[in-house]
Amino acid sequence: MPVNEKNISNKIDHLFRHEYGKLVSVLTKTFGTSNIELAEDIVQEAMLEALNRWTYNGIPTNPVGWIYKVAKNKAVNILNREKYKRQYASDIAHLLQSEWTVAPTLEQIFTDKEIADDQLRMIFTCCNPIISKDSQVALTLKTLCGFSISEIAKAFLTTEENINKRLVRARKSIKDANILFEVPTGRELEQRLSSVLETIYLLFNEGYNATSVDNPIRYELCEESIRLTEIIASNQIIKSSNTYALLALMIFNTSRFKSRIDEFDNILDLEHQDRNQWDKELIKKGLYYLEFATQQNEVSIYHILATISAHHCTALDFKSTDWKSILSLYDMLIKIDNSPIVLLNRAIVFSKTASPKKALQQLEKIKDNSVFSSYFPYYTTKATLHFQNKESKKAKKLLDDALKKFDTRNHKHLINKVLNDFSGNI
Amino acid sequence: MQEFMIFIKTKGDHLASLSPEQQQAHVQKIGKYIGGLMDSGKLKGAQPLEMGGAVIHGNKGVFKDGPFNESKEVIVGYFHIVAKNLEEAIEIAKANPVFDDSEGSIEVRPIKQMDGIN
Repeated sequence: MPVNEKNISNKIDHLFRHEYGKLVSVLTKTFGTSNIELAEDIVQEAMLEALNRWTYNGIPTNPVGWIYKVAKNKAVNILNREKYKRQYASDIAHLLQSEWTVAPTLEQIFTDKEIADDQLRMIFTCCNPIISKDSQVALTLKTLCGFSISEIAKAFLTTEENINKRLVRARKSIKDANILFEVPTGRELEQRLSSVLETIYLLFNEGYNATSVDNPIRYELCEESIRLTEIIASNQIIKSSNTYALLALMIFNTSRFKSRIDEFDNILDLEHQDRNQWDKELIKKGLYYLEFATQQNEVSIYHILATISAHHCTALDFKSTDWKSILSLYDMLIKIDNSPIVLLNRAIVFSKTASPKKALQQLEKIKDNSVFSSYFPYYTTKATLHFQNKESKKAKKLLDDALKKFDTRNHKHLINKVLNDFSGNI
Repeated sequence: MQEFMIFIKTKGDHLASLSPEQQQAHVQKIGKYIGGLMDSGKLKGAQPLEMGGAVIHGNKGVFKDGPFNESKEVIVGYFHIVAKNLEEAIEIAKANPVFDDSEGSIEVRPIKQMDGIN
C-alpha cells in the first residue's frame, strides 16, 4: 500500500472539511431535508472509520474516494435496514426503497455535477428564511463548511450549548415546514437568493470584524463565505450580478485582512496599514468579479460597497485615495441605507473632500443617535476630526468618554494611537 | 533486533470528537508516522480493533462472561514492530500521533524469545 503524505498535502487546504460539506449535501438529497442530522452522522462515522483504519494500515492512495465509498455503503445499509421505519421526503425516495435500484441510484447522485448542485440546494436549505438568521449561520457552518460545534462557538464567542440550541432549532424548523431540497425558480429565486446573500455577508462580517485578534477561525469564516458564494456564482442558471458584487466585496476586504493587525496584535486602520502586504492576487480576482457584477443594469448595496473597497485596494497610498469618487458612492449608498454608521463613514470621506469642520457639522445633526453610544469607532472618528479641526479639548473629552466605556487592550491602543498622532496639537 | 507489540489503549472511540479539519490534520500526521515505519522496515503489522467483543474471566476451568466496558481504557489497536531494544521501541511508540489529539496509554511489550525455538 503506497503511503504518500503528499497525497493529502497542505496545498489542499480544508480538504476534509469541504468533502464533509459535499457528502452531507448529497446524503441530504438522498434522505430528505428532515434527515439532515442522519446525513451528518453518516459522514462523521465514515470519516471516523477511515481515521481508525488508517492509523494502523496507512493512508490509501485516494483517501477521499475511500471516505465516499464508506459513506455510500453506510447509506445503503441504513436504507435497507430502515426501509419501512423512516419517511424519506426526497424525490428519489421510491428508487431507494427497492434493492434493485438503490445501488445504481446512489451511484448516479455521487457524480461531480450532482454534488455541485446538491451543495447549492443545501445553501438554499440552510439559508431558508423560515430559520432565524442566527441559526442559518450556525447550520451553514456545521453542514456545509464542516465546522465542529466547538469551532462555531469559538468563532462566535459563545458557548457550545448555545450553538447546539441554534442547530436543534434550525433542524426543527426545516422538519416542521417540510422544506424541499431544491433551488427555487422564477420570481421566488430572486427573493430567496437575496436572503442567502444576506446570510453569507453576515457570516463574512462575523469573521471580518475581528474583536478578538488571535483567532484563526475568523479568517476561515471569510474564506468559507467566499467559497459558498463562488458555488452560487458558478451555477449556470442563477445569473445574478448581486452575487458577483458580493463576491468582489468580500474578496477586496479579505485582501487586506492580514495587514490589519500589527506585530503586537493591534488593529490598524486603512491609513496605517502596510499596503505591500495586501494580497495582490485577491485584488485582481476582486476586480474580475466586479467587472462581471457591473455587466447587468443593477445596483445593490454590494455593488456600491465593492466599488468603494476597490477604490481603497487600488489607491497607491492613503493620501492619493480617490475620495471624490468614494464620496459620490456614499451618496448613492445613503439612498439605500441611511443608517447612522453609513453616515459616520461618509463623514470621514467628506472630511477629506471638504474639511474636517464641515464633516463635524454634519455629524452634529446625528450625534444623539443611540447607536453611537456603544459604537467605538464613533468616538475615535469624531475625536480625530476634532483634532484635525484644532479642537483638542473636545477631542480629548471624547477619548476620555470612550476610555470609560471600552477598556480592552485593543480599544486602549486605538485611543492612544489617536492621541499620539495628534500629540503635536495638544 | 527484537520484536515488540505496542498496544494502544484509549477510553471509548478516542477520535470521535474531532472536526473534519482536525481529522485531516490527524491524517497528515498518521501518514508521516506509518510511512516512516514502513520505509525503515520496522513495521511488521498493525490493526485497529472493533469496539465491543467480550471479556471472559477464567479461574481454574470456571468461566464468567463480564461486560465489555467502553468507558474504561480498552485496547483499540496494536502495532507489531521490530526494534533494536526496548528504548527504541518506546521511542517508536511515543512518536505515534494518536495521542496528539486524544488521551490514553500505550503498552510496549517485548515478544518473548525462546532460545532454539524462534
